[in-house]
Amino acid sequence: MGGACSRKQDQQDNEDDLHRRVSGRYFKSGSSKWLRTSFSRASTDISQGIGSCPSLMELCISRIREDINKYSTFSMLPRDISQQIFDDLVCSQCLSDYILEAFRDCALQDINLGEYPGFNDSWMDVISSQGSSLLSVDLSGSDVTDSGLINLKDCRNLQALNFNYCDQISDQGLKQISGLSNLTTISFRKNNLITDQGMRYLSGLTNLVKLDLERCPKIHGGLVHLEGLSKIESLNVNCCNCITDADMKAVSGLRSLKSLQIASSKVTDNGVTFLKALHKLTLLNMEGCRVTAACLESLSVLGALLYLNLSRCNLTNDGSDKFSKLQSLKVLNLGFNDISDAILVHLKGLTNLESLNLDSCRISDEGMINLAGLHRLKSLVLSDTGVGSGGLHHLSGLVNLESLNLSFTDVTDGGLRKLSGLSSLKSLNLDARQITDIGLAALTTFKNLRSLEICGGGLTDAGVRNIKDLTSLTLLSLSQNHHLTDKCLKSISGLTQLVSLNIANSRITRAGLQHLKPLKNLKSLTLESCKVTADDMKKLQSTDLPNLVSFRPE
Amino acid sequence: MKEDMVKLISAEGFEFVIDKKAAMVSQTIRNMLTSPGSFAETEHGEVTFPEISTTILEKICQYFYWSLQYASSMVRSWVCSPMIISSSFLEAIEWEGD
Repeated sequence: MGGACSRKQDQQDNEDDLHRRVSGRYFKSGSSKWLRTSFSRASTDISQGIGSCPSLMELCISRIREDINKYSTFSMLPRDISQQIFDDLVCSQCLSDYILEAFRDCALQDINLGEYPGFNDSWMDVISSQGSSLLSVDLSGSDVTDSGLINLKDCRNLQALNFNYCDQISDQGLKQISGLSNLTTISFRKNNLITDQGMRYLSGLTNLVKLDLERCPKIHGGLVHLEGLSKIESLNVNCCNCITDADMKAVSGLRSLKSLQIASSKVTDNGVTFLKALHKLTLLNMEGCRVTAACLESLSVLGALLYLNLSRCNLTNDGSDKFSKLQSLKVLNLGFNDISDAILVHLKGLTNLESLNLDSCRISDEGMINLAGLHRLKSLVLSDTGVGSGGLHHLSGLVNLESLNLSFTDVTDGGLRKLSGLSSLKSLNLDARQITDIGLAALTTFKNLRSLEICGGGLTDAGVRNIKDLTSLTLLSLSQNHHLTDKCLKSISGLTQLVSLNIANSRITRAGLQHLKPLKNLKSLTLESCKVTADDMKKLQSTDLPNLVSFRPE
Repeated sequence: MKEDMVKLISAEGFEFVIDKKAAMVSQTIRNMLTSPGSFAETEHGEVTFPEISTTILEKICQYFYWSLQYASSMVRSWVCSPMIISSSFLEAIEWEGD
C-alpha cells in the first residue's frame, strides 16, 4: 500500500441480487442510508478502528480535506494521489461545485458519485475533462441529463457506466454513449424513458460484457439489438414486466451468456425453450415467472447451470421429477412455492447442491430425510416450513453446513442438540417461539458462529451466558426477548468482534450500556423499546463507540 | 552507528539519526534494512533519499515516532504540514502505517 496505489475495482452487484439494494432516494431514514454508503465506499477516514494507525498518506489526505479551500488545482499531483483525495472528499460529502474545479484535467480514473447529494449536471464538464484516463463513472441516483452526457464522448477509454435510477436519462442519452466502444459494463436500472428504440444505440458496443436494465418498463422488443454483441455474458432484465417469450428468442442468439436474470417478467415455459441454446449459462433467475416444472425439460440440457432461482413461481409438485436431471446445480431456490415433501425425493440426487432454499414451502420432517445425503450443502433455508425437531435429526450429518435458517418453524430446544456436531456453522437463525435457554446451551460447540438470531421471546439472562464464549460473532440479534435485563450485557461484553447488535424490546436500561464499551467494532446498535433514550445512544457513540454509524433509538 | 539506531539522509545531506524501530514503520525502509545481502544499507544502517528535502524528512521522522506512540497511548491528533503533499515526496516513497 502506498502512494502509488493500484486501482481498486469495486465489486459490482452480486449477480443474484438476493439483497436488492434500493436507491437512497427511496430511503426514509437518513441514518440507514449513511450506514449503507459507509459500507460501500472505501474510506480514508482516520477513525478506522482501534489498533490501526493511520498511514501518513491518510493523515495528509485528511489534512487536505480540512484545508480544501486553499487548493485551486490538483492537476500537478500524481493521479493516484488526486484520485484518493477525490474519493475522500466524496466519502465525507465535502465535494462542491467550487472544489470540484480543482480536479479539472487530473486524469482521474474513477468517478464514483453514486447517490451523492450535491451533484448537478454542470459537474459533467469537469468529469469529462479527465479525458482518456476516465475508466468508470457512477452517477446513480442523480439528475444527470442526456445533454450532460454529450461530453463523455471525449472519454474514449470508458469501461463502466452506472446510471441506475437516473430519471432524466432517455434514449437520447444512450445515443451519446453509443460510440464508447470500450464499454464493458453498463447499468440503467429503473429507467422509465429508455425504449427499444434507444437500445439500438447499444448495438455498436461490441466489448459489452455486462448489461443491467432491471425495472425498465419499456424495453420490450429491444433485446434484438444486442444480437451482434458476441462478448455479452451477463444480462439483467429483472422486474421488466414488458419482457415476453418473444424477447427470449432474441436472447437465444447471445451464445456467450453466462448469467440471465428475468425475474417477474412475462416469460413462460415456451420462452424458456429458447434458452436451450445457451450452453454457457451458469446462472438463471426466474423468480416470480409464470413457469411450471415443464420448463425443466429445456433447462436439463444446460450442463453448465449452477444457479437456478424458481422462487415465487407458483410451482406445484406436478412434473417435479424433472428436477433430478439438473445434476450440475449448486444453488437452488424454490422458496414460496406450493410444493411439498414429494418434491424433495427428486432433489435427493443433486449431490452438488451447496445452497437450498425452501422458504414457506409445505415441507415437513418426513421430507428432510431426502436431504441427508447432500453433503456439500453449505446453506439451507427452512423458514416458515413445517419442519420441527424430528427433521433436524436428518441434518446432523451435513458437516459442511455453514448457514441454517429455522425461523418461524416448530423447532424446539431438543432439536438443537441434534445439530451439535455441525461445528462449521457460521450463521444460525432461530427466530422461533419454542427456543429457550436450554436451546442456547446446545450452541456452545459452535465456535465458528458469526451470525446468531434468536427472537422468539423465550430467553433469560442465564441462557445468554451460554454464548459468552462465541467470540467469532459479528451479528447478534436477541430482540423481542422481554425477559432480558442489563445482566445479559455482561455476557455480551466479551464478544468484541460484534459489528451489529440488536436487543430491542427487552428490559435493558441505560445502566447496562457501560457493558458495551469494549465492543469497539460495533457499527449498528438497536435498543428500541428499551429504557434507553436517543441521548444515551449518542453519548455512547461519542465517548466509547466511535465506529457506531447506525443506532436506534435515534 | 549503534545497533539500534539508523541514519536517514535527505537531499541536502542532512542526517537524521533515529531509532531503528521508528524507521521500520516504513515498509520500504524495513525491506532495505532487513533484506539479506541485497542492499548496502543493511551493512551501514544508512539510507539516503535524494528526492526528499530536509524539512519533509524531518516531518516523516516525526510521523514515525508518533506512529509508535499511537498504539500505546491515546494520542490521536497530529498536525500535518501541507508541505508534505509536494509531489516529489509522494512519488518517492511507499508507506505502511502499521
